[in-house]
Amino acid sequence: MRERVGAGREPGGEGRLWLLGFLIFAVFAVFLGRLAQLQLVEGAELRTRSERNSIRTVRLDAPRGQILDREGRVLASTRPAFDLELVPSEVRGSDLTYRALGQLLETDAAPIRERVERRRGRERFQPLLVKADLPYESLARIETHRYALPGVVTEIRPRREYVEGDLAAHLLGTLGEIRADQLEKPGFEGYRSGEIVGQTGLEAVLEPTLRGTAGGRNVIVDVAGREVERLDEVAPVPGRDVVLSIDMDLQRAAWDAFREDHPEDPNDVGRLGALVALDPRSGDVLAMLSRPSFDPNSFAGGVDPKTWRALLQDPHKPLQNRNIQGQYPPGSTYKIFLAAAGLETGLVTPSTRVFCPGSFWYGNRSFRCWKKEGHGSVDLHTSLVRSCDVYYYALGVRLGVDRIASFAKAFNLGRITGIDLPDEKPGLIPTSEWKQRRFGVPWYPGETVSISIGQGYDLTTPLQLAVSYAALANGGTIYEPRVILRRRGADGEIEEVPPVEKGRLPVRPENLAVIRKALEGVVEQPGGTGSKARVPGVAVAGKTGTAQVVRLEKFQGVKESKIPLEYRDHAWFVSYAPAENPEIVVAVLSEHGGHGGSAAAPLAQKVLARYFEKRGVVAPAKAQAPVPVPVEEEEDPVIEDVPADGGSDPEPGAATPSDAPPGADAVREASDGSGPHG
Amino acid sequence: MVDRRVLQNFDWVLLGLTATLVLLGLGNLVSATHGAASGDLSPEVRRQLLALGLGSLGLLAAFAFDYRRIERWALPIYFACCLLLASTLVLAPVTRGNRAWLVFGPLRLQPSELAKIGLVLALAWTFHRHPASDIRRLRELWRPALVVALPVGLIVLQKDMGVALLTLLVGATYLPFVRVPLRAWIGVAGAAALAVAGLWSFALADYQRQRILDFLDPGRDPLASGYQAIQSKIAIGSGGLLGKGYLAGTQTQLRFLPTQHTDFVFSVLAEEWGFVGSAVVLGLYLTLLLWGLVVASRARDGFGTMLAVGIVGCFLWPALINIAMVLGLAPVIGVTFPLFSYGGSSLIASLVGIGLLLNVSMRRYMF
Repeated sequence: MRERVGAGREPGGEGRLWLLGFLIFAVFAVFLGRLAQLQLVEGAELRTRSERNSIRTVRLDAPRGQILDREGRVLASTRPAFDLELVPSEVRGSDLTYRALGQLLETDAAPIRERVERRRGRERFQPLLVKADLPYESLARIETHRYALPGVVTEIRPRREYVEGDLAAHLLGTLGEIRADQLEKPGFEGYRSGEIVGQTGLEAVLEPTLRGTAGGRNVIVDVAGREVERLDEVAPVPGRDVVLSIDMDLQRAAWDAFREDHPEDPNDVGRLGALVALDPRSGDVLAMLSRPSFDPNSFAGGVDPKTWRALLQDPHKPLQNRNIQGQYPPGSTYKIFLAAAGLETGLVTPSTRVFCPGSFWYGNRSFRCWKKEGHGSVDLHTSLVRSCDVYYYALGVRLGVDRIASFAKAFNLGRITGIDLPDEKPGLIPTSEWKQRRFGVPWYPGETVSISIGQGYDLTTPLQLAVSYAALANGGTIYEPRVILRRRGADGEIEEVPPVEKGRLPVRPENLAVIRKALEGVVEQPGGTGSKARVPGVAVAGKTGTAQVVRLEKFQGVKESKIPLEYRDHAWFVSYAPAENPEIVVAVLSEHGGHGGSAAAPLAQKVLARYFEKRGVVAPAKAQAPVPVPVEEEEDPVIEDVPADGGSDPEPGAATPSDAPPGADAVREASDGSGPHG
Repeated sequence: MVDRRVLQNFDWVLLGLTATLVLLGLGNLVSATHGAASGDLSPEVRRQLLALGLGSLGLLAAFAFDYRRIERWALPIYFACCLLLASTLVLAPVTRGNRAWLVFGPLRLQPSELAKIGLVLALAWTFHRHPASDIRRLRELWRPALVVALPVGLIVLQKDMGVALLTLLVGATYLPFVRVPLRAWIGVAGAAALAVAGLWSFALADYQRQRILDFLDPGRDPLASGYQAIQSKIAIGSGGLLGKGYLAGTQTQLRFLPTQHTDFVFSVLAEEWGFVGSAVVLGLYLTLLLWGLVVASRARDGFGTMLAVGIVGCFLWPALINIAMVLGLAPVIGVTFPLFSYGGSSLIASLVGIGLLLNVSMRRYMF
């Protein structure tokens, strides 16, 4: 029956079977060859690729060092924050993922999608920050649904937190993503793009101390980027803490003073300006406030472009630290430098008297004293107490621009104070050589008249005036302002930062004493322009100033409160206390605030009162309210060409007794026997 | 039925090869579906074990009766399969873009897998009556062509192009046995080229075109659709000579491999067992296929031979295309690796096929 079996088969079928078998064999041989190529020849390389596929190095950011005030209170700390990231290469079912993300984050997911899908090549493997610092509810929602959202990763990162918000924003500064040009600079070795670094203020200055060292962790991740296993970990080294010279109580007192009469209205910027408090014995910066302010917390993870643009375009320049970057004419606060120069050069003595008729003739022009009826015959002491312009016009002309400049510069004006803050401005103290170089024309003697009362080319920063008054107060030592009290060094040891003496005033102690006596009179003496700075129980000394703002013709002589803000004068008050043995210097600039005595002195008073209340010298409660005293309002010195007959000036809008608050001051007035106009 | 003489001729080699491959496949599937947390068997493995049970019954049924009795049932079985296929067009829900699955509660059946067995039976029946060696002109191929066209057409209507192509290829397994002259094939090749061009322009979905383009240039966009091919290559290559060890393949266990329990199941094997392990499996597979041809050559009659050739074709083509795809030698199309890939219908159909092979082998001396 075998034959029948064979007959059922096609002739030659056997051969075709072997052909088929050979073809199959050949194909499998090709497969084996390909396997050998992949696994044996390219095996090592593909193995590396498989490891790179699944092993990811996660950077562990170091928490930034804390910033503390001089009493150890936290100003800037670090808290854990949850960042939401997307790994573009691992996003699957993108429509669903983005729709879900949009719902979970309660935002429009289209821009996120656009950013993710713009990534190309290797970038697609790197996580992309979608939302920094997730609120807790969003985090909970995301974590609940994450199994369905491959490619979505949440990372815990330390995030800067400024406990006091905008209270000390300019001093502490801001963080921000490192810029491309910074990456190239020395000092930024080892930084990676996208890293958050200190960009302004102390955050920038203290970057090497605060930064710490990032750690890292190698983890095995699955295809969705989820951590499956930790391989090894290098813990980050936290940044080192820094103790500042700032006293938060005084900082807050300054803040409150600027915010007073400006309730918590977000649209109302409050008073503009700056306040700085120094310890004249060391140069310690006790408070430094610049207004308007901003919330540095909004910069903590890199600022969003909208907030940034708004801050940049704000006409009030909230990002500027006016204490070191605002350059203003010093106004009458400048007079002490002429007084020192006059005494030291022997051009005047304390008893030298000048008659003030209300104006000063020089060349073919009349320079008005702010008090148009004149101060009469004044000596040096009275010239400071009442802030007589004519006295200083006369003294300035006799000194000449270059001698004035040399003394002003000896008080550290016209150059930076050297405080540990970036981008400090030097101000300007003009000399005849400077004018020639800058404008190519010689100095006109008439210009000396203007600069003698701190107008014209003169420009100073609030901190410069505080430093120079501190030197006057401490008997002649110029200190570099010290804002960092101590910090932990790289070796873990605490480094005290010693006070730095920058120089001595070329003024004899007895001459300084004359000026100090006069500045005490400014506040404490009847008819002094700074009486609103009085603190009961403490002798306060200070000098008012009103810096003229370039003003349109039409506002000449118009009452201050009726002039648009940007054309109003700047009010200065630079003070120290106790007058005999000064412990604190407070310089205030109230930008467009009006007159020094009424707009700036009360602000300084708040900080002085808080300081002495802390020292136990002054009882708290109502005692720290400014003593209501009628103040002789210093007017703008008006410099103008006048006809020979003098002409008639418009009525100045000076404060009158009726402007002053009634009550106790009336009694005081009566007992002193002194009216507001002396 | 099964008498003593038949059992004396039982093909232990074929059963041994099959059992070895099935067990290796199961073990590999355990790894491919191994969860990071659970120590239990994955649901896929449990379903596969169920299918193995059902398939073993199918295997017994397929060799219990003399295949000559089965020959009488060839056409009814063929038409029943086609009816089942047709029913999917009405009854099956659309899953992953096609209507390939019939769902009965927890059970899901892919009729196209069973249809291959029906097709092979019908083709063997045709070639037994009209021997392939008598076919000398293309037009004389109309009978087998008709037999192939019916199920393939139905599968095309399901929009399951991968399986349609495979079924067509199973039919093509018989082509070496016809005596059509070479110039006729040149004409066919021209027609096929035209057909391919037509398919490309009109019939193929965009993702299918993408897959073919990815095959031609895998570096084109490594993360979109070429992703699968590249991850598979990395998995295989990183296995090296000896592999990363069972359950220790990073590509597999961390799920970098796409569809690793179905289409890319061989990559799992290659990653964890290396060149040695994959070469052993390829060798066993080759032996199984060649052994099937040996069974064909030793068959008692033309039906047996043609049945054995067809069943070899049922294993050969998916294995060939799947391995070529996994190794980056062919475009990514959804074709599974018989006996290894997860898929109950496929395993049952495969075991039924082995049963038929055993049947033909065992009864080679029967008359």
